[in-house]
Amino acid sequence: MTVSQLSHIAMEMGVILLSNGAETYRVEESMHRICIALGAREAEIFCVPTTIILSITMADKEPLTQTRRIHTRIIDLTKVDEINHLSRKICYETLPYDELMAEIRRIDSAPSYPYVLQVLAFAVIAQVFTLFFGGNPRDSIIAFGIGLATKLLMDLMNRLDTNSFFINMIGGVIASTVAVTASGLGLTTQMDTIIIGSIMTLVPGLVITNAIRDIIAGDYLSGLTKGVEALLIAAAIAAGVAVPLSLLRPFWGG
Amino acid sequence: MSYFLPCFYALIASFAFAIVFNIKLNKLLFSALGGFVGQLTFALFQLIISNDVVLYLFATIAISLYAEIMARLTSAPTTIYLAVALIPLVPGGGMYYTMLYFINGAMDLGIATGVHTLLISGALAMGIILVSSAVTLTRKIMLRRRHAKEKTPA
Repeated sequence: MTVSQLSHIAMEMGVILLSNGAETYRVEESMHRICIALGAREAEIFCVPTTIILSITMADKEPLTQTRRIHTRIIDLTKVDEINHLSRKICYETLPYDELMAEIRRIDSAPSYPYVLQVLAFAVIAQVFTLFFGGNPRDSIIAFGIGLATKLLMDLMNRLDTNSFFINMIGGVIASTVAVTASGLGLTTQMDTIIIGSIMTLVPGLVITNAIRDIIAGDYLSGLTKGVEALLIAAAIAAGVAVPLSLLRPFWGG
Repeated sequence: MSYFLPCFYALIASFAFAIVFNIKLNKLLFSALGGFVGQLTFALFQLIISNDVVLYLFATIAISLYAEIMARLTSAPTTIYLAVALIPLVPGGGMYYTMLYFINGAMDLGIATGVHTLLISGALAMGIILVSSAVTLTRKIMLRRRHAKEKTPA
């Protein structure tokens, strides 16, 4: 395998890991393992949540450095899992370049759950968390509606490349607008429960987990970056919820 | 029953989150069970401990242990199980009430709730750190033992 082929494979796998929600230290570790298993003498990887820098040396050849910028980050843990499996497989058996690239492409283009199911799951999260925090069935149905609206609007804004803080803020705005209106119309007495249940859909669970795990692994730079991201998302949600609460409540006499 | 109803809600919520995170069928149920384990620990310890920060710590330790074990059994990244199970424990209520007290002008209540929410987040982080470090340590010790055995001639 040539240096450029090797770096291509390692880079592709690293990019898939990083852009689908893997921890930063896992990306560095996997890429290093892949490079060594594929025959590199030395491999240095530097990875932060938005960039991967890979530098490999093979015996008797010029060293090669490659940089890749990550622009979109989504959550698809199946891809993380499958790339992880593949990187283990590379360590145990030697696979030719074409076969590896075909496998990587297959993983990268694997379909996710149907869109309708994703939207429904999102709405169910809002509904169930409303029950979880002590809401009654009628509250949970209102939350289900909020979940549907939030997911559809968030995806629309994602397609327009809106930044994630604004998206989360709008999520908070929808949740509290609907809840305040419902309580003003006398549909519910537990406005707070509905809002809390609905904003649980926006909570950055994976970001928090990855931030903590990166910090334990000694990757402070990425850990802190993600920690701040989680804090800012939480602040954006709170700010979004606060706006309709302060503006609408006077109208409904709350 | 009122103690255990939240566990089932957490199970369904985690299941839905696993779908949103696109976890595939064979791991879907196991990752959702993590949310159930966390809430169950919370509900059980509630009977003997009244400090809820400690309860959150115990619940996080339980889900981290569960996640590490499941990750080894299915040879998958720990995050798959941990992130999904952690979400029902995230203090969304605390976040909301902190904000609500502040916009209502009740500063001391806001600060008290805010600090409490921060403590809970700290407990979550602490739980994950404790288990993850303990697991890494055990693995290192086991690896070293295996190396030592291989080196000593039989």
